[in-house]
Amino acid sequence: MISIQDLTVRFDGRDILTDINVSIETGKWTCLVGPNGAGKTTLLKTLLGVYQYSGSVKDEGVEVYQNQDRNVAFVPQQPHIPAGMTVMEYVMLGRSKKDGWGRETKSGRDFVAQVLTQTQLFGMQHRFVAQLSGGEMQRALIARALAQEPKLILLDEPTSALDLHHQISVLNNIEILKEHGVTILSTMHDITLAAMYAEDIVVMLDGRVTLAGSASSVIHSPELRSAFDDRINVYTLDGGRPVIMANKEYLNERERPQTEA
Amino acid sequence: MWSWRITAISIALLVVVALLAISFGPVEIGFPKILKTLLGLPGAATGQERTLLLDLRLPRVLLAALVGAALATSGAVYQTVFRNPLADPYLLGTAAGAGLGATLAFTIVHGDVYALLPIFSFVGGILAVLTSFFISGRFQAEPNTLLLSGIAVGSFATAVQTYLQQRNSNALRPVYSWILGELTAANWQVVSWSSFYILFSLSILIFISKKLDGLMLSDEESFSLGINPQQLRIIAVAAATLATATAVSASGLIGFVGIVVPHLVRGITHRVTNRSLTAIAFAGASFLVLADLGARTLLSPAELPIGVITAFVGAPFFLFVLRAKRLVN
Repeated sequence: MISIQDLTVRFDGRDILTDINVSIETGKWTCLVGPNGAGKTTLLKTLLGVYQYSGSVKDEGVEVYQNQDRNVAFVPQQPHIPAGMTVMEYVMLGRSKKDGWGRETKSGRDFVAQVLTQTQLFGMQHRFVAQLSGGEMQRALIARALAQEPKLILLDEPTSALDLHHQISVLNNIEILKEHGVTILSTMHDITLAAMYAEDIVVMLDGRVTLAGSASSVIHSPELRSAFDDRINVYTLDGGRPVIMANKEYLNERERPQTEA
Repeated sequence: MWSWRITAISIALLVVVALLAISFGPVEIGFPKILKTLLGLPGAATGQERTLLLDLRLPRVLLAALVGAALATSGAVYQTVFRNPLADPYLLGTAAGAGLGATLAFTIVHGDVYALLPIFSFVGGILAVLTSFFISGRFQAEPNTLLLSGIAVGSFATAVQTYLQQRNSNALRPVYSWILGELTAANWQVVSWSSFYILFSLSILIFISKKLDGLMLSDEESFSLGINPQQLRIIAVAAATLATATAVSASGLIGFVGIVVPHLVRGITHRVTNRSLTAIAFAGASFLVLADLGARTLLSPAELPIGVITAFVGAPFFLFVLRAKRLVN
């Protein structure tokens, strides 16, 4: 379990995250939602251990800051794409620490071959990552994370910039991780998709957590609506699945050019 | 597997090129005799021939190999650390600092300048890089900050150097010929101290080479893979700078090796990863030994500056490979 207590993160004297208290359960998929600038990515990177913070962020009882004894995979929204590196080499990077930074082991290579098959990248391993399409790149990132055999995986907007077909393919790949008992924490713009896949949802607004709980309880709560300035409506489909849509009338009213009366 | 094959080929290449370089020169010595002399077998060369082989040609070939390996490896490492295919080992002010140090040696030292030249240029190069580090706030920011402060420090050092040269016109010619690079001063003393620093820093770089690949990703990604990116960058830049400063102080400024050789090896192997770092080191060694052979023999008995050869031959060859294989995709 990751327990976050009184977490505050400041950059240049400005609070990016303020007084966050929330816990993330092991083996579950938790999704951070909220408008742009709410602090979702900052919270994700703080959990990775790269940002200084006040308060406490404990992963299985140990503080996360600069702690590299953990095995956490990170899938960024905008990865640095190394020119001239093949898919195989890229995914093998996820295995390097396990292989002791020395020569690749046979078991490592076999495991990576299996991961490439799982993520439908087998056959592409000799292509350059710079030549992959958006959907393939996202799968390569997830393959690298899988190769790490992590306990926790942090994904920053794993489905943004992908079409629906690829979104579902990527989300299904993430579900494979969950089957292996990996704790998943992701940010996601699309709340409908978040509600479909995640078990728990944390709503963020202006650097604070305004609500956290099971997906179904959060989706129908008034706090979710207020996080998005009442600009969304929640509908329930016949099968019971929630669908979140932008509130069109509100948008019209607010964003229509003002004309003189 | 490929990386071992490439490394083996590059080692074999160096052996062949080095034997070739020892065999050629104004004085002709039979190849069997040379082999026997090197291996200490009966029938070895004696007298003047022996001195020529063991105290002139051999240290010169070894120094060329060491300097070539240092420049090529440092270039490859800088290109990875700064995520910039054009990064070269002189980038952080090493070259300008060493040049200023050398100019100072020529202007203030009376007597045997050449004995003190390596010390002056070594200290100048290291001081320039330390200044760049200090100004950039020790890597807290993006690696580009360091790169830019390196350029600023370099320009400043060059300005001071030019001023000194204007005031002491007798230093102009020796400084200029030193800047073009030369291995004429090679002797066992230079080989022994430079091999100490160069082999030390290259071992560090090859030891961390697998981790260096992680620096091609964002800092957060490399952190999650078990790398401390800031620490690794400092170690890599420090080792590469030590190797470069040693190379510069032993042989002056030899351009082009640090950019051409890494890209050449990567182009041929189709790999950017630093697993090819050992191969790059040996290829750099072969390249400079061959260039020095050209510098000694093309206009024999006169000598060309080796920097002229590396650029004159290296540039067209590089362009040819660049066209034939797409180096950067």
